This record gives sequence, C-alpha cells and structure tokens, in this order.
Amino acid sequence: MNHIKSDVPELIQQQGGLKPDVSKQVSRHTGVAEADVYGVGSFFHLLSRSDKKLRVCTGLSCQMAGADKVLQAALDAGLPVEPCSCLAACDQPTAVLRDREVIPGVQVEEIKQTGGDWTKLKQEMSPGGKGWLGHIGPSVENDGDLAINLAGAPDWSGTALRMALTRSANHIIAIIKSSELQGRGGAGFPAHIKWQAVQSQSEPERYVVLNADEGEPGTFKDRELLMRRPDRIVEGLAIAAHAVGAKDVFLYLRGEFAYPKKSIELAIQQFRQRGLLADLRFHSHSGQGAYICGEETALLEALEGKRGMPRLKPPFPVEVGLWGKPTLIHNVETIACVPEIIKRGGDWFKNLGRTAAGTKLYCISGHVQKPGTYELPLGITLDELVESAGGYIGKLKAFCPGGASSGFLPADKRNIALDFQALAAVGSMLGSAGVIVLNDTVDMKWAVGQQLRFFEDESCGQCAPCRIGTRYLREAVNAELNGSATMHSPNLKFAEDVAWQMNEASICGLGQTASLALTSAMTYFPEDFQ
Amino acid sequence: MKLARNQLTLNGKTVSFTDGETILTLANRMGVHIPTLCHDPRLDPVGACRMCLVEVTGFNRLVPACTQKATPGMEVITENARITRHRQTLLALYMTDHPQDRNAVEKGAPNQLLDLAEQYQAPLNWGRMLPIRSARDDDRNPYILFNADLCISCARCVRYCAEVERVSAITLANRGASTTVATADNASLLDTSCEMCGGCIDVCPTGAMTEKMPLTRNHKPERELRKVRTTCNYCGVGCQIDLNVDDIANDGRGMVVKITSPPPGTTVNDGNLCVKGRFAYDFIHHPDRLTQPLVCNENGELQPTTWDDALEKAVNGLQAVAKRYGADALGFVSSSRCTVEENYLMQKLARAVFHTNNVHQCAAT
Amino acid sequence: MAGLVNTFGAGAMTNSIGEIRDADFLLVIGSNTSEAHPIIAMEMKRAVRRGATLVVADPRAIWMTSIAEKHLQLKPGTDVWLLNAMAHVIIEEDLIDHKFIAGQTENFDAVKQTVADYTPEQAEQITGVPADVIRWTARRYASTAKAGIYYVLGITEHSHGTDNVYALSNLVLMTGHLGKPSSGLNPLRGQNNVQGANDAGASPVFYPGYQRVDDPAARAKYEKSWGVSLSPTPGLNLNQMMKTTGNKIKAFYVMGEDILLSEPNVLHLERALNNIEFLVIQEPFLNETSRFADVIFPAAIYAEKDGVFINSERRVQRVRKAVQPPGEALADWEILVQFANRCGADWNFPGPAEIYNEMVKDVPRFAGISHERIEQTQHVPGLSGIQWPCPGANHPGTKYLHADGVLRGKGLFQAVQYRPSMELPDTDYGLILSTGRTLYHYNSATQTRREQGLSTKQSEAYIEIHPRDAQKRSIAHGDRVQVKTRRGSVHVRAFYSRQVRSGCIWMPFHFKEARANILTNDVGDSITGTAEYKVCAAEVTKLETGKKDTLLFPGAYFVER
Repeated sequence: MNHIKSDVPELIQQQGGLKPDVSKQVSRHTGVAEADVYGVGSFFHLLSRSDKKLRVCTGLSCQMAGADKVLQAALDAGLPVEPCSCLAACDQPTAVLRDREVIPGVQVEEIKQTGGDWTKLKQEMSPGGKGWLGHIGPSVENDGDLAINLAGAPDWSGTALRMALTRSANHIIAIIKSSELQGRGGAGFPAHIKWQAVQSQSEPERYVVLNADEGEPGTFKDRELLMRRPDRIVEGLAIAAHAVGAKDVFLYLRGEFAYPKKSIELAIQQFRQRGLLADLRFHSHSGQGAYICGEETALLEALEGKRGMPRLKPPFPVEVGLWGKPTLIHNVETIACVPEIIKRGGDWFKNLGRTAAGTKLYCISGHVQKPGTYELPLGITLDELVESAGGYIGKLKAFCPGGASSGFLPADKRNIALDFQALAAVGSMLGSAGVIVLNDTVDMKWAVGQQLRFFEDESCGQCAPCRIGTRYLREAVNAELNGSATMHSPNLKFAEDVAWQMNEASICGLGQTASLALTSAMTYFPEDFQ
Repeated sequence: MKLARNQLTLNGKTVSFTDGETILTLANRMGVHIPTLCHDPRLDPVGACRMCLVEVTGFNRLVPACTQKATPGMEVITENARITRHRQTLLALYMTDHPQDRNAVEKGAPNQLLDLAEQYQAPLNWGRMLPIRSARDDDRNPYILFNADLCISCARCVRYCAEVERVSAITLANRGASTTVATADNASLLDTSCEMCGGCIDVCPTGAMTEKMPLTRNHKPERELRKVRTTCNYCGVGCQIDLNVDDIANDGRGMVVKITSPPPGTTVNDGNLCVKGRFAYDFIHHPDRLTQPLVCNENGELQPTTWDDALEKAVNGLQAVAKRYGADALGFVSSSRCTVEENYLMQKLARAVFHTNNVHQCAAT
Repeated sequence: MAGLVNTFGAGAMTNSIGEIRDADFLLVIGSNTSEAHPIIAMEMKRAVRRGATLVVADPRAIWMTSIAEKHLQLKPGTDVWLLNAMAHVIIEEDLIDHKFIAGQTENFDAVKQTVADYTPEQAEQITGVPADVIRWTARRYASTAKAGIYYVLGITEHSHGTDNVYALSNLVLMTGHLGKPSSGLNPLRGQNNVQGANDAGASPVFYPGYQRVDDPAARAKYEKSWGVSLSPTPGLNLNQMMKTTGNKIKAFYVMGEDILLSEPNVLHLERALNNIEFLVIQEPFLNETSRFADVIFPAAIYAEKDGVFINSERRVQRVRKAVQPPGEALADWEILVQFANRCGADWNFPGPAEIYNEMVKDVPRFAGISHERIEQTQHVPGLSGIQWPCPGANHPGTKYLHADGVLRGKGLFQAVQYRPSMELPDTDYGLILSTGRTLYHYNSATQTRREQGLSTKQSEAYIEIHPRDAQKRSIAHGDRVQVKTRRGSVHVRAFYSRQVRSGCIWMPFHFKEARANILTNDVGDSITGTAEYKVCAAEVTKLETGKKDTLLFPGAYFVER
C-alpha cells in the first residue's frame, strides 16, 4: 500500500494549490514525477484554481434561484470568484464556497456588503457548519420504520457491530442478501453481490472504500448523513470490513465537505474510544473538486493520488480495486443502511420499501415549499415526495428524478414510482435520488443548457465521445439560446447522432448519460426547442 | 459448433487465440482490420480513443478490442451497421474538434485521424469548435514541437514517456475539453527530465507532437519524402532508421531532411530511437564536410587537389616508408564507424597489399 | 572481445537485444546503459516494469540506478574483487550448476581455489560494497533462471580489462547461465560497427571470422584466396601502435578515427606524430589528427553509401545509400579499392555486395548471410537483418549463442587475481578520474556538435565532482577548474554531483577544447591493448568562479528523496 503517492493531491493542497514550483516540491517529497504531480493538480479545480477564493454554485437549483445574479454581484464587487459545479446545498440556494467551506443561502445583498473582502462573506455561519443543515423528514420516535432516521440521535453503542462481529462473513452477507439492499449511488446494484465477490477473492489484502464524493446536481443527502448520523456510516463500514475481511477503510469525501469530514472523524473516535474498532484502520481523504470522482473507479484513481479518470470495466473494483486489490466501494447511504439491517434483519428492511427494498433518502429542491432530505419508502411518487416537502411552488412542468444525469421528465410522469426499475423503464433513472422540480416559468432549453454546461465542466477528458460530445451539445444549445448558430457551429440537428455516440462509446456513466438532459427535453418539450 | 478451449469466432469464422491475447492483436494477426488511434503495441492498452470498439455477444455496450482479452467461445463482430455508425459518428465528433484541411494539418507528420475519417466516410458537416487546449509556445527545446490544436488527447506520448522511456517528462493536464499535454508548470522540455528521445513524435497519430527542424526549415511534408531504411551510425545497438529524403534538394544530390523510426515489431529497436539517432543528422549536409582531397604542401598547409594527385602522393608516401623500414613500420587504423566491407578491404590492404598485420581499430575491447 | 573468445569461443553478446525484456534478473556492470545505449536501456526498463530485478554495479549513480533494486557503488577498478566475491558466495552456498560445470566447462577447480580467498567481508573493505549486498546479489543471480549480465567499457577499459571479463565469464559458467534465452553474458558495443569491424578482421591477430594469423592453416587459406603470401607474425594492436609511433611505426593510414581525441595520453601521441614520415587520413570532416596529415581523402558518410553494419547482438543489417556525397567525396570502400589498385593490386568490386561475398566465402559463420537475404527479411514478419552464426542459406540465424553447447567446445574457467589499477591516487593527485560518454554527444562529437540542438542540452566540457571533494578544494558548483594528471591538464566546469563517489571525478571525453584523453593513462590491457580510460590519478584546482546563470548540470537525474 503506497500511502505517500496517495497524498499527492493533499500535498498540493497544503502548498496552497498548484502554483509554480509546487509540482517540484511535491515530487521531491513523494517520488512521483513532477509532470505527473502537475497533471494531478491541474485536473482538480480546487487545486488548479486556488486563487479563486470564492466559488458560486451554478447547479440547476441554485440557478433557478438566481445564482447568476449572485455571481455577477461578486464579480462586480471585485471578489476572486468563479462559477462552480453543484455544492450540495440545492435546498438552500444560492450556495457559495469560501475556501473549503460551503455557505448556503447567499443573497446578492450579502455579497454587496463584503466590500471586496471575500473573508467577510457571512461571517456568522453557525459553528461546525450546522447552518448548512436543511429540512429533514419525517420525524419519528425510536427510529420507527426507518433504516437511517436522520432526525435520530447518534447511537454510539455499536450494537449492530457487536452482533456482526459474532457472526461469520457468510452469515452477514446472507442477511444483506435477504434485505435486498441495492446500492444507493445510482446504479441500484445488489449490495450482497459485491460483498460476496470481495469476500471470495483469493488475495488476502482487501479494502473498503466509502464513496462520499457524490457531486450530482440536486443531491445533498450525504451532507445530512455525514453530519447528523456519522454513527450509522462508521458502524456500517466496520461491519462491511469485517464481512469482507478488510483491515483498511478509506473515506473519500468531497473537498467541499470540510465539516462533514470533521463529523465523521469524530464519530470514528467515538467508536474507537469504546473499543469497538479493534485494529481497523481508517484513512480519510479529501476530494479536490471533480464530480467525476463520484464514479467509483475514478475515485479509486484519485485515492491513489492520480488524475481522476475512470478505469475501464471490467475488471470491477471487487476484483481489481484500490492499488489493484479487491475493494468494496459503497455510497454513503448504502453503508448507512447496514447497521439497522444487521440489527433488525433483512426482511424488516426489505419490507420498508414500496416497490423495492428499504427506505430511501430523497433530496428535493427547486420549485417546492420545503426543499430538503426526506427518508421515505422506496418507490413513492413525485407528488407524495413533494407533499412531504410542503407542496409545489407554481405549476409542475418538469422534474429530474435523479439529478442532472437522469434528464427531464414531464409532469404527466408524476405518478411513476421513484425507484430504480420504473424510472429506467422510461429511459430515466433514480440515480442518487436528487429530485429537482421545475415549474412552468422555466424555459427547458435554458435548463438543458445549465445541465450541459455542468457535464462539459466535469468531463474528465479521457475519452473523445464525452470530452468532445459534452462541449458540442452545450455549444449547440448555446448557439440556439443566443441565436448565434451558423453553418459552421455545432448544430442541434446532429444532436441525436452525437447523443447516440456518447451513450454508445463513452467509457463511464458521465458520458453515457450526459446527453439525456437534452434528448429527454427535446422529446418531452419540443415546443421549447422550436 | 463446438469450439476448442482456445477458440472463438471472429466475424463468424472460428479462430484460435493465444493466452492473454486481446481481440485487437488476434484480429490483426488474422488480417482483420480494426481502426485505432491510442493503441501502440509497446504501451499498456487503455481503450481511451474508443476507435477500436467492436461488438461482443453478451456485452450490452461496444467493447474496446485493444483491452478486451479473447476468451473461449466469445463471438466477436468487427463490422456491422452499429459499428459503422459508431466509427462514423465518433470520427465526425473528433473532426469537430480538429482542423480538417490536410495541407495545413500535415505540414509535419501524416495525420491518421484524417485518414480514418476519409476511410470511413465520416460526415464532416457537423461544424467546428475552436480548440481551447493550451500549448507551450515558448518552449525553447530544439526538437519537439507540440501543436495543441492537432492533439486528440490519446495520451500515447504521455504513456510512451512514462512506460517506455520512463522519464515522465510530460503529462495529461487539465481536464475535459481543456485536456492537453503539458510539462510540470509548462516548463520547456529542456528544463524537465526529458531526454529528447522524440518517442512522443513517433507515437503521435496526428502530428500534434512533431519535429521542429523540418518545419522551421520549410522542408516538404513527410508524406512527400522518400524513405530509405538504413542502420543508425551511432552506438552498437544497430537501430534501423528511415532517412526521409528530398530527392530534388541539394542540387539534385538529395537531402536527408528528417529521420523517422520503422514501425514497432519490425526491427531490433522496436520503433524506438534516442536523441542522437532521431535528431542528430545535421552533420550529413554540414558545410564543414570535406569535398575534395587535400594534400600538404611544402609550407605545411593543406590544399585541395585532384583524386589522381592525392592517391598518387598517398601511395608513394606509404610505399616509400615500407621500402625504407619494412612493411611493419606501417600502421593501418581501420574503423568501427565504417562498414564491414570497408573494414574487410582495409585489413586486406594491410595484409595482402602491404604484407603486414599491423591493422586494428579503436574498439577492439 | 578477446576475453570472451578465450572463454566461450565467440566475442559477442550471447543473447539478443529482444531477449532483455524477458529477463528476470539483470546485472548491469560498467555500462551507463541509458546514456550510451538508450535503446537497450528501454528494453531493460521494460523488463523492470514487467517485474524483473535490476542490479547496477557502477562507481557512479547512473540513471539506471533509479529503477534498480540495488546499486553496487564499487570503487573504480575493484571489479575483480566484487565478482570473485560473488563467485565465492555462489560456490560456498552451493548455488553452482554442477551438471553444466561437469559437462560443458573446464578448469573450474582453479577458479574455486582462487575465489576461496575472496570473502565478501574482505571485498567490502576493498570495493566499498557491503558484504550482505554482495551475498544478496550473488544469490539472486545464481538462483534466477533468466539472469543476464550486461557490460561495456566500464569493464574493459582497464589495465586488467580482460581479467574483468574472465571474472564475469566465471560467474556465467558456474551458474550455467549460458546457451539459454535471456540468460548470458552480453558486451554492448559502443560503436555502430564494432562487432562488424572485428568480425571482418580489422585486427592484428585475426583474419575475418576470428581465424588467427599465426595459424598456418588459416594463413594458407587466405594466401590461396588472395593469391599472395601473408605475414605470419601477429601485428601490433592499436595501443602498441600508438605507443611506438615515431619509433617503430613510421607511417599511418587512418580511416574514420580521430586518434588525437580518442586515444589515451594524447599529448604524448601528438609529439610522436611529429616524428612519423607519412600520414594518410580518410575522413568526412577535418579533425584534430588532420593537422598532421600528408594526404586527406574526403570520405562519404553512412547515408551516402551501401554496405552492412553488424550490431552488438551479431545482427547483420544493411546500410543503404540515400543521398549523393558532397563534392568529390567517395565512399571509403571506393577509396580503398582505388588505393589498392594504384599499389598494383587488381581489385575488381562493382559494389559492396561483391566485397561482402568475397569475405564470407572464407568465413563459415557468415556464409548464409548476403545482402540479398537481408533485403528479404524486411518483407516478412519478424525483425529485419540476420544474426550470425548463419552457416547456410537456409539457416535462420542465431538468436542466442551456445545453445548446442559452448562454441569453444568447453567453456574455459579462468582464475583471476585482483590487480590494482596502474595509477592510483597519492598525495599529489588525490582523486580517481574516470571518463565516459553522455547521452547527448557521441565520441569525438564531430557529428553531434554539428547539431545545434544537442549543444543546447549540453554545450561544454565538465567534470562531476562530489561536493565534499569540491569543498575541500574551495570549488563551488559551476566553477571553472583545472583538471591535472601526470600527462597533462585541461580546463572545464566543475559540477557538484552526488552521483559520483567521494574521491572520484568523472568527465565526458567528447569535447575537443578539453580533451579528456590528455589526462588518461595509456597503459593497455595485456591481451587486448585496451587502455585504462576508467582509472587514473588526478587533481582539481579552481581557476575562476562560475557564471551565475548556469543550469544545473545536465546529468542530474535525481530528485533527492
């Protein structure tokens, strides 16, 4: 295990970002070639543009709330600012990143008050970043029938972990299997298959990795989970490590998650003080501003200190993962479901869901009364979700059921079960369950433009279909929006072929789904593209 | 049909593969053409350019032939409507991000992307986007020019530098549409670990990495030059090189304007060259070259003369010494820099004509 | 060359370059491979990438040490101690190949007896390489099936160069690492056609194909072929010719070598050249030696003529004419033919192919190779060119030697005792000077310094000196210094380097304004005459403070970790 190499991004961060000579210094320290250090630093926006002390979120939800105006105000105020991708505060627009600290709900007035001093922005943020926490629901007594229960008090007793430690790996995996737990990261892949696969590798060295680098616009549940219920995550990780025979657990958190990182590190201490973690080692790493690292193999690359470019699959991480070793990698929410499954049994969890197993953290933002994170049975409909969130604002026009990657669905699809299968059947996906609601004030062409810019900014650039395709589509939409289309500029009439190519030939999910926002909108809202 | 343990079907035909063989190598061996851009047999395959995608039964998505290992019973298809559409749309997309005028593009090396776009009749009417990749315009290194506009981010150069030459002087930098090839801090290659082997030039499929000298001297593009395969005259590895000759130049005597390496797998150097072999050819047509025989006059100065005179004087000079002191007073110094035939003649001259064995050369260790 | 002919029966790489990538253990000794043979270094890098173990034995920390498992940084000239100590370990721990020794070698006991005294502990005292590292290397070498040794002039350019080769041969023979792919003893040739020049008989003792001039049968064969009587006395080797210049040797015909830059102790030679009666040189450029010439023939270079070169791995490859030579310059072969015919010979060669055919007629190991056949290899799969031995037109050539038994009949063990280098540091000359090549220049640099780019990378002569030695002499990084030996002095820049051992300095020999060979010792190896370029006593004194704008010296490969 080569830790020193994995430290490359963090060492660049310590040096204040990728400034001249930093590559040389980090190279000297790590033995990684200077150029390779530079390649890593220039890949991650938080490292390559360290002079930008403020970043304004331009995710769709923030944009609908007027992020552009906040950005313009900041530019006018002479602040060192740039637009950035979603900051996981879609429920509290407009979000701004100051260094590594997210400030939600920033108003144009507040920007004006800074007088050009970026450190002065909203100085009264509540301690430990608590001001970033949003609405959650439902509120229940004693965990009720919830797998996670964000509102509950952290439980440091380690009951589930103690139970797991007395059981064999096969037994634990059998429980996970009976729970029918599906990965909450987007693909809905049955969790037990991964566990079984890692557990049965002949290589004795295995790892567990927590994917807390979710950057899907519309998604902010990880933030709530990490800050409110880190106990669930740490306990889940320890159980998983026990089941697959790993001694090292790696946490990879978004670079913007300074507070959530502290929260989970404290939770690890809590368990360790109670003697529950034995010889299990935890290693926490910060992302450096790259959505693509939410893709599991890109994350592994970044964790190894390299540019976050997805690997080809197969082989899958369960066989060839971190440092080439079998690796169990799970989304935060998936892991957080584990303790209650162990405690209360697979059947209990399975029956929590409506169309598939378990409760699910749905994030909802956009044109609703109380944007927030709601834990509801898997398979509820949009209307039910919005009811939890206090109802619609205005008349529903469209919604993204699972972040930018899921494209747009029209109002008449509001009764579809929000689960993995039903959404896939209509060419969309549940993804990370970041639901964004758009009312009839929104021009779909504009909304599509927002999503496409996001994908273009976040494409890793490794494969041509995505690298060129995302840019092509964004330029084509922009040309339409600006009325600047010419014979020689990218044109929407080729969108179908471009989208086909991206979907067919991109290496990873980013490129494969990036065109969906455009193609779905063109299908369902042709009038907006006349 | 029952297949053996090491057999699969390739476009319906049963073929045998070797252990660990990829679909691409197998297809090449069988004479089935699969287009590639990021592949080089010397490098670990990465499947990044997506050019080589083929259909494999059981896989929903198209599969990169360069990375996918052949497995028993696999059914591989390299030509059908889906693959044609894939190749055409991928190439069309590449071309929206790449200059299309062959004359402008091929000032340096031939461009395989244009070749493929032609071969597969990719649509070229999708419009163009302005490149936003950064280059290093002020790199004062004498040999290697990086034209970012022509770069398709296949990373062959970067991987060659890391895997074959192992100096890792260059990297993929930035990301997305800005992805480019850079050095640390965009320093000149002279100030990096680069050893100027020029492998980056050799592996580049589009001429984005190209040799500076022929460009600055306005030599003809590589495509119009005659290639003469010969053996490098530096160290004892015996690398095969291609002298790129402009036959018209130099008053019709011909001029070596560039040296390139033969394809990997065909010669002892496996397509590799070093800084001297690839770039140090200016001496061939250097003005310092001797063009006439010289003899020493009575003032001790060298002056030009005719071959007849020079040979006459040389023969007389050596024969006189042999006559006076005996043949063993002569020393014949042959050269490991000359050909086998010339060494043979030199020792034959010493032995058969002058009757001495005093013949040697400097590298008889 | 002579060393290997004596022990194995053929003086060439036993393996092919293409086999290096498959080796599992590589001992690189006295070879700065990445600078002198970059393409072979690439094959080694490939092997290491694949998982092979690389061990570098060299007084300097060369680039290859950065990817090596171990660097044996021995004191210059102590190779015999190191190698005999390795043999000691291999015998002591019974890692020898009994079957191979019994069946294919002779004289093992002599070596066994000799190396018994060479304990690793004592070797550590002499070489500076820790005893446990010597043991580890010996074990790994002996116990790895595909284990190859690669060496160059760091082994041979010593007064005991042949001893070094013998000591290496002993290791190979006792472990049976011979006659197998990727496993053997491999001298890498420094010049394009060293192998070919030797093969073609440019030697005072050998006719073409290593047939001895004092062997009556060989002489009779050539007398018959050439239709003349031949001298039965072996000639002088180059070292002897140079040393007797002016006394014994009264005239030279020099083709393609700048002896005044390349030969050791050149000031002595320079004085001697004033005393000879006639000098003919044949060159593409004027050079240092030209100043003494009576006649200069303008010669074509490789791009202007046809023929073959033979590379380190015995591969015969074509040289093809691409352009016309400038002015009246002629190919060396054309000049030689005209010259001989003026002397009364009747040489009638339409071209190099016919010369080649005449040569191979009397050399069985080349008999199957012809210009035409080499041409054909270019149009079939596989590598172009053909490797000797290739006795017949249907023989495919030989990838690695000794597969069917050692060519000599039996591999000959040669017991060697350590002999110190001829000139070691003393109070007047406190440092050991070694000379060598760099990546960016070639030999006397008549070609490479006519190429501006290379000079951008490396423009001037320098020495590498350890900071400790430099500071003792009040020399700062980049200062101009005088380097002095008993034979002369030169002025160069001094660059601090932790790549050289303390007590040693290193200098490239490419620069005519600071000829390293003014300094070097012309004592020759007793068998080959190869001079001791790698060790002589030297001293360094500061001349003036260096320019401030200096780049770090160009050989600094390492990030200090």
